[in-house]
Amino acid sequence: MSSIAKNLLKFLCASALILLMAAALNFAVDPLQLFRPSKLLPAVYSADTRMQDAGLIRSQEFDTAFMGTSLAIHFRQRDIDRILGGRSLKLSMTGSSSREQSFVLEAAMARHPKRVVWQLDDWIFRDTPEIDSDVYLPSGLYRRSAAGLAGYLFSGQMARESLWILARSLPPLEPAVARLTSDLVFKFPIADVDDINSLPPDYDVAGSYNARRALAAYRYITDPVRSRYLADDYNYDAMVRAFERDAIGLISKHPDVTFDIYFPPYSILQFAAARDFSPAALKTVYDFTTYAFPRLLALPNVRLYDFRAVKEVTHDLENYGDVIHHSPAIDLKVLSWLAEGKYRVEPSAPLASLEQLEAQVEAYRLER
Amino acid sequence: MLFNSYAFIFLFLPLVLAGYFALGRVGNLAPVVWLALASLTFYALGNWQYVALLLASIAFNYAVGYLLIARGLRPKVRFAVLTVGVAGDLLVLGIFKYAGFLAANFNAVFSTGLVVHIVLPVGISFYTFTQIAFLVDAYRGRVARYALPHYALFVTYFPHLIAGPILHHRDMIPQFERAGAKRPDPHLILCGLIIFAIGLFKKTCLADGIQPLVGPVFGPGSPTFDQAWIGALAYTFQLYFDFSGYSDMAIGISLMFGIFLPLNFNSPYKATSIVDFWRRWHMTLSQFLRDYLYIPLGGNRHGPVRRYVNLVITMLLGGLWHGAAWTFVAWGALHGAYLCINHAWNRFGPEVAPRLRPAATLAGAVLTFLSVVVAWVFFRADNIDSALYVLVRMADPTRLALGRAEIFNLAFIAFYAALAWFAPNTQAIMGYDHARRAVGEGLRQAQPRPWFLYATSAVLAFGILGIQQHSEFIYFRF
Repeated sequence: MSSIAKNLLKFLCASALILLMAAALNFAVDPLQLFRPSKLLPAVYSADTRMQDAGLIRSQEFDTAFMGTSLAIHFRQRDIDRILGGRSLKLSMTGSSSREQSFVLEAAMARHPKRVVWQLDDWIFRDTPEIDSDVYLPSGLYRRSAAGLAGYLFSGQMARESLWILARSLPPLEPAVARLTSDLVFKFPIADVDDINSLPPDYDVAGSYNARRALAAYRYITDPVRSRYLADDYNYDAMVRAFERDAIGLISKHPDVTFDIYFPPYSILQFAAARDFSPAALKTVYDFTTYAFPRLLALPNVRLYDFRAVKEVTHDLENYGDVIHHSPAIDLKVLSWLAEGKYRVEPSAPLASLEQLEAQVEAYRLER
Repeated sequence: MLFNSYAFIFLFLPLVLAGYFALGRVGNLAPVVWLALASLTFYALGNWQYVALLLASIAFNYAVGYLLIARGLRPKVRFAVLTVGVAGDLLVLGIFKYAGFLAANFNAVFSTGLVVHIVLPVGISFYTFTQIAFLVDAYRGRVARYALPHYALFVTYFPHLIAGPILHHRDMIPQFERAGAKRPDPHLILCGLIIFAIGLFKKTCLADGIQPLVGPVFGPGSPTFDQAWIGALAYTFQLYFDFSGYSDMAIGISLMFGIFLPLNFNSPYKATSIVDFWRRWHMTLSQFLRDYLYIPLGGNRHGPVRRYVNLVITMLLGGLWHGAAWTFVAWGALHGAYLCINHAWNRFGPEVAPRLRPAATLAGAVLTFLSVVVAWVFFRADNIDSALYVLVRMADPTRLALGRAEIFNLAFIAFYAALAWFAPNTQAIMGYDHARRAVGEGLRQAQPRPWFLYATSAVLAFGILGIQQHSEFIYFRF
């Protein structure tokens, strides 16, 4: 063999060795806890829930899956367990679509939960790409496909996280590494599963949720430059298709699981903005509710709640950080309402809450 | 299929290489046919519905080229044939790339409701341009007659098919005809692998690494001064590492087959003027626009005013080549204006004293870089309003966030800037000389520096470890 051919061989072998070392490291540390719950090393978690959920579903004990968008992202599992009973696992994903939520919930069904608490709204039923074309959700990790697991094991980013977790587990290095650990650089800075996307105790709630911020957000979305975005993704036919596929499809497939479905209390500003700047989108919301509620109520394993017309919350702008996102205090109220069965939509009057909402939206006048 | 995918690196490329060299023992033509079929497979794996269009384009241009080269046509007929050939190419490109854009503008002007929805076939801009160059050269009598398999391979050659470099038939086809290229050369394979590794690292670790900083600034949000600059600078480096990474990978892959591709980048952000920038950025496109648009328009042969007009026309069309949108027109117009100012400065500006030359060079480099960054805002934005919005934010230092995230992001960008400004480029590291068909002379020594071998093998490993799902190259959409 010529010396150049030997060099070529050395080059390929050295590359392969580095790849294998990275894979071995990722398998041993297993930051996502995909292969086993962390025992030798302290468990750590990421706020990137589209990725983290794949590991949580495998590593956590739960009988209640909690799903939603950013409106359900700050709930604490301890609060859910305390108020609703059982042992919950929060799987909410910021900005998620019904397709993503349904896919993740389907993966969670492999652990046989008794109950799903699912925050739905019309916006999640927008037209979205196939799950395997979704660049944000690593579907292979949920399916545990060879490509998905190879992508996890042969990931440089994961190897960097593994090294960091390893360094953090060494007592002499732990204080320094913990100080340097930042969510800006590392994906796994969270030590307690209950802290994933929960607001920390010292969080400035009053500064983040108040009428001034809600009104600023209202002005922002209704600015003539941006008001056309209000109509984005509101296509009735696409929404109905997604609803049938993702919500009705999943619920019908699991008749032994109870689905507590709730529509969250958006601030009235969201509907007022749609009323004044995108009436077609508002009509789509109403039409979609008219279609979806009877369909959901027809399923025996669904309990449906509509909090959109809870005036004492939705009209008090101090509860909001923008036009839709409510404060942690309202998170607790939502859980209490679910526990008490309050604002439940009855099959005898499936559109009663919608009619209340329509009347409120019609009557609301923004005080400037 | 993407170069930065496991399927390509571990399956497609080794299989095609093995088949190419195995057939090289049989004869000189079989490997060419094999490579052309492999290239079509490569294209079909992601774009099967456009394979017929690609084949039709090859057949059409080869037939027109045959008429121009082999038939003793009268000058007027030859010109008519050329016109039909070029017009046919431009018509197809126009239908697939610009029909929707034209309809949208027609609707805006005349309040009509024309709906044109045509998906852009990947690579159409690149294979159309290479073939127009072929036809023009055939008309000029600068083309020998090529065999169909070699011509088909020239157009479809998978390392360049989707996003360039834009190849020239006189450079490529003689290499495809050379029997020596069909025998495996461990030296070229090793050098090709290293260049591929550098390109892969640029793409998966650098370009994909900085990409998350870009989106938020060009979305519906409201960036502050520092956030807008972070977004614009991040895109500046993302685009460079993405596209130059792709070009490096193309060069490296081709080198494994014994074929030298032209360089496409030469550290463009080290440019000291806009003229210099265009000698370093997307060099094969610049050469194409110069040879087949700027010079036929008259170039600089009809006085300074015509020269400036020709420059602006060339850059406007260059902008439009990238995409059917006003943002690309604005980007091209800006660069046309920059080039005019640069040439006017060279002609009318004061002579710089020798002692001030280093400072003037530095000032030129800074000004060039900032001008390029401003133009990239148009290149990246979804529409002109959005681009102007970001630019307004970049010009308003009264709105400043400068929080923990912004400071971290600025440090991150500084690292990328240091790489772009101070690190040697791929051809300097590898001693790649396209004209001399030479590469990696240092590696030919019996005992190359082991650290270099292991460092580059680590670059390959990190490049593979950096592969993410669905990370397309930015230039695929052009």
